[in-house]
Amino acid sequence: MLALLPHIVGVYFVNVFVHFAIFALYAVSFNLLLGYTGLFSFGHAMFFGVGGFATALALVHIKGLPILAALFLGFFASVVLALVLCPIMARVSGTAFAMLHLAFSMLIYTLALKLRNITNGEDGISGFPIPPLNIPGVISFDMKDSTNFYYFAMVVIGLSLWFLWFLTKTPFGQLMVSIRDNAKRVAYMGFKVPQTKALIYVISGGFAGIAGSVLALFQNVIAPDLALGPGTSFQVILITMVGGVGSFFGPIWGSAIFTILHEFTSRYIKEVEMLMGAILIVVMLYFPRGFAGVLELIRKKVFG
Amino acid sequence: MNILETKGLYHDFKGLKVLFDINLEIKKGERHAIIGPNGAGKTTLFNLITGTYVPKKGRVFFKGKDVTGSQPEELVRQGMGRSFQITSIFSKLTAFQNIRIGILSKRGIRFNIFQYVDDMEDITRETEELLRQINLYDVRDVPAGILSYGQQRSLEIGMALATDPELVMLDEPSAGMSKEEIYYAVELIRKLTENKTVVIIEHDMDVVFSLADRITVLHQGAILASGPPQEIRENQAVKDAYLGEAEE
Repeated sequence: MLALLPHIVGVYFVNVFVHFAIFALYAVSFNLLLGYTGLFSFGHAMFFGVGGFATALALVHIKGLPILAALFLGFFASVVLALVLCPIMARVSGTAFAMLHLAFSMLIYTLALKLRNITNGEDGISGFPIPPLNIPGVISFDMKDSTNFYYFAMVVIGLSLWFLWFLTKTPFGQLMVSIRDNAKRVAYMGFKVPQTKALIYVISGGFAGIAGSVLALFQNVIAPDLALGPGTSFQVILITMVGGVGSFFGPIWGSAIFTILHEFTSRYIKEVEMLMGAILIVVMLYFPRGFAGVLELIRKKVFG
Repeated sequence: MNILETKGLYHDFKGLKVLFDINLEIKKGERHAIIGPNGAGKTTLFNLITGTYVPKKGRVFFKGKDVTGSQPEELVRQGMGRSFQITSIFSKLTAFQNIRIGILSKRGIRFNIFQYVDDMEDITRETEELLRQINLYDVRDVPAGILSYGQQRSLEIGMALATDPELVMLDEPSAGMSKEEIYYAVELIRKLTENKTVVIIEHDMDVVFSLADRITVLHQGAILASGPPQEIRENQAVKDAYLGEAEE
């Protein structure tokens, strides 16, 4: 059905769908920290934005860079950022983890605004070339075409989501949820907790970077307020909480809800986040396990 | 051969002296009980040995190697297991998952991101075997947090044993249990720790005298006496400090 979508609905909704998928991946990478490992970050946008900026900058400065290389550079830049931060971040949790992320993400956001000669300040980078997807000697897809890009994005995001889902099912995934439940005991079961958290952190950052990179390629523009600012950090918290922290698919539901709401309401009000905030309050009060929790409840009621 | 030795262990918390000059010798294969009134420093001693704190003075030797200041996970990998007085389990995970994480650790599976953990048949089989031994097989898929208190205590012991340690440090396994539950817990410990060395902190004197080969009495941060149960029972200093009160 996903393959047929561009033939059923118009270009506009194809683009809406890509937007949904990008934020789904971004939120799932965030939930790897929050839902699976119990680490609450107030600055996940730095990985998302750095991924996007790395891809955009690479395309501006490197002539003839293939699209997959640009994507990889986005991933790589976020991985490097996570590697630099992980010696600190893997040793803290709770409030310290959350606030340190707020601090570092604000630092990077401010840098992106101030380093005008590199990032163009508030305007960000736009109009960089979007290279075609070449399979040498076989075929070349024009990535400026919405339908082609849709397939490209679906494959990249689909594979990423599949990998992350698989990760949660491995012994390493068990280690993640054990750390969330009781990090102290994990050490007494013979595991190195900081090192494990560092690896989760790098994976989470890297995949947020891929999401940001696809966003840059998709919109052909990347700007601090689009992908790097505190708004983007809080957006992912909203998406994940509303969708459901306790489930892998929760954040994907959250992204769908956010995208649909955005489509229906952005014509009437400007700040969709405000509406999401109101929904979040209702969710926190009455459905602490989010939309995924509600679905689970219905499933149990209906199918016993 | 001594599997565990401490030499001149001393510890204080911001000037509050908790332990002085603790010289402990635990022989391989023995069941050694550590008793003493509340605040004697028993759990602190455990914390110094198992890597929770680094002792301010003194050394800890495990299997003849100086392990003073080692991290808990390093000690676990060398064959030291530990349970906690205050139940410390993974409460949102099932009983099965709680035990499985220990079995994975024992097999050295740490950063495996290539296999479905549910498909690892050896791991599942071993986990189920241990669950049967601690009588939790029937509740294997119940989140540990909603098990009964007694079941959680069994799980606590099972987790300490899941990594197959040579030396098991049990911090008051019968804490908060009824007489009946204690009897059952003692049988469980006896059954599961055959061929292992056990150091156990315990308040219940029936448990101590029925389980232990040797007893060390800790009083106000120092060792008051150490020896076989009969000797401890008849030791006047111990009677004065501890046993006398308990029997009243």
